[in-house]
Amino acid sequence: MTDTSTRALAARATRPTGTPTRGRRALISLGYFVIPIAVVIGIWQLVTILNPPAPFFPQPFAIIANLWDLLFGSPKAVQQVFYGEFLQTVGRMALGFALGAIWGVIVGTIMGLWRGARETINPIVEFLRSIPATATLPLFIILLGGGDDMRVAFIAYGVSWFVLINTAQGVGAIHKTLLDVGKVFKISPARRIFRIVLPGAMPKIFAGLRIASTAALLLAIVSEFMLASNGIGYMLVQAQGRFQLLNMWSWMLALAILGLIINTLLEWIEGRILAWHRQSRART
Amino acid sequence: MTSTTVPRQTRRSPRVGAIWRGIAGVLGLAIVLEIVSRSGIVDQKYLPPFSEVIVRSFTLWGDASFRNDVGSTLLTYLIGLAISIVIAVPLGALFGLSNRVYRAARAVIELLRPIPPVALIPLVLLMLGSGMEMKVVIVVFAAVWPIMFNTLYGVHDVDPYAKDMARSFGIGRFGIIRRIVIPSAAPFIMTGVRISSSIALIVVITVELIAGGAQGIGAYISRLRGSYSDAADTYLSVLAATIMAGLIGLVINLVIGWLERRFFGWEARDSA
Repeated sequence: MTDTSTRALAARATRPTGTPTRGRRALISLGYFVIPIAVVIGIWQLVTILNPPAPFFPQPFAIIANLWDLLFGSPKAVQQVFYGEFLQTVGRMALGFALGAIWGVIVGTIMGLWRGARETINPIVEFLRSIPATATLPLFIILLGGGDDMRVAFIAYGVSWFVLINTAQGVGAIHKTLLDVGKVFKISPARRIFRIVLPGAMPKIFAGLRIASTAALLLAIVSEFMLASNGIGYMLVQAQGRFQLLNMWSWMLALAILGLIINTLLEWIEGRILAWHRQSRART
Repeated sequence: MTSTTVPRQTRRSPRVGAIWRGIAGVLGLAIVLEIVSRSGIVDQKYLPPFSEVIVRSFTLWGDASFRNDVGSTLLTYLIGLAISIVIAVPLGALFGLSNRVYRAARAVIELLRPIPPVALIPLVLLMLGSGMEMKVVIVVFAAVWPIMFNTLYGVHDVDPYAKDMARSFGIGRFGIIRRIVIPSAAPFIMTGVRISSSIALIVVITVELIAGGAQGIGAYISRLRGSYSDAADTYLSVLAATIMAGLIGLVINLVIGWLERRFFGWEARDSA
């Protein structure tokens, strides 16, 4: 008992004044996270209570409660609807994202490795890329109809540009010596691509994937706005059409949370896969 | 290829070979599309001959309503971008100068930023109707973030010695911000504006497409799709209008890139 307290005293003595302990630092950053949000929600709640006729801005607690109800509420049907819509959107988005990312990495690698290919394709890529992806949605609908495959193709198309451009840049920036070393050691081309080219371009590719993930959610929702029978975007439009503002806000909150989850997930994966990259950069 | 012996060239004058290859690529694609369509491998209804699409994208400009729509889209884009700059630059500077303010605001920002701007369309549509205000609000919500964060990075990046020196010359707080912080962060701000510019254009057209009703290129495409008078002809117009949207985007990107090089060419940094 006395031993620990003296050690604590000693620790406190050696610590330079003004630098809080790790525990306190965590508490402070938690405070910085919780307090501002609490203040905003508190003000909003107060204003809506004191100023009742605010049809467009329901009380924040009511929104959260409503979302909770939709998510975990007892009526089974409602719950089914929510999980159904949620998973529909997420599934289409994930599939489109994956297809677009694969396509982008393939074409980007080709463009990065061969200058001839890059110079030939580049004007086409630059032009197609500047067409707002959402503006091509009517074309996709006319060509592929209103089904899920159309939505997945549309998301994949819109997502692929971000990955393609970044992959091409990343692959193009790999030092030529590295590639030559692979050749000298007679490593097979496939292995060279998977062991040298792609890992070297990985930091850039991930930067593209992060932008692409945000775009994927946006494109998924847009495609559901225009023509759909399920999904979060569809529910949002339905709520708007029926003037159910509470539901609308709940779906919007759900979208914000979904966006936050996707961002965090990708950041986490990036941190794990690119740990070597950060280490090697820290050393130099 | 002789040009391989030439050492690296500057970016402004791409190699002649690159230009020819680019032209060859575009022409090749055009010819393939033309052949595929004319030969009937793919139904002409779905893939009209490339030449007809090009012709249509020129004749579109003869349509007064299309010209109005283009004007409306550009106006919305400009207003939205301008408001975004006015909001985002001071906020970014404030966050960059005071770490405490930034930390306090960060939680709210992190919660707002992942909201897809289009998710706001139903709400803003109910509140403001389908006019220009609605479009501008959503554009601003989308375009504010890159400018704000780039301003913040730029302000962080200011040389502390320059600030100290200005202080020792007796320049006041606002003098330092105006004469040192803002000019030295300007290239970063410009990068943010360039990113936001393309986002703003995309969002304008998207909102027009979804919310319909109002004017704009997106609304034009949306109206066309609604009128199923002559499917093939409508499709041709949709295709041409989409290509025009791309062309407008390309021109805007080129202009912004040129402005950036013209005014901030001394800043070789590229932090996008």
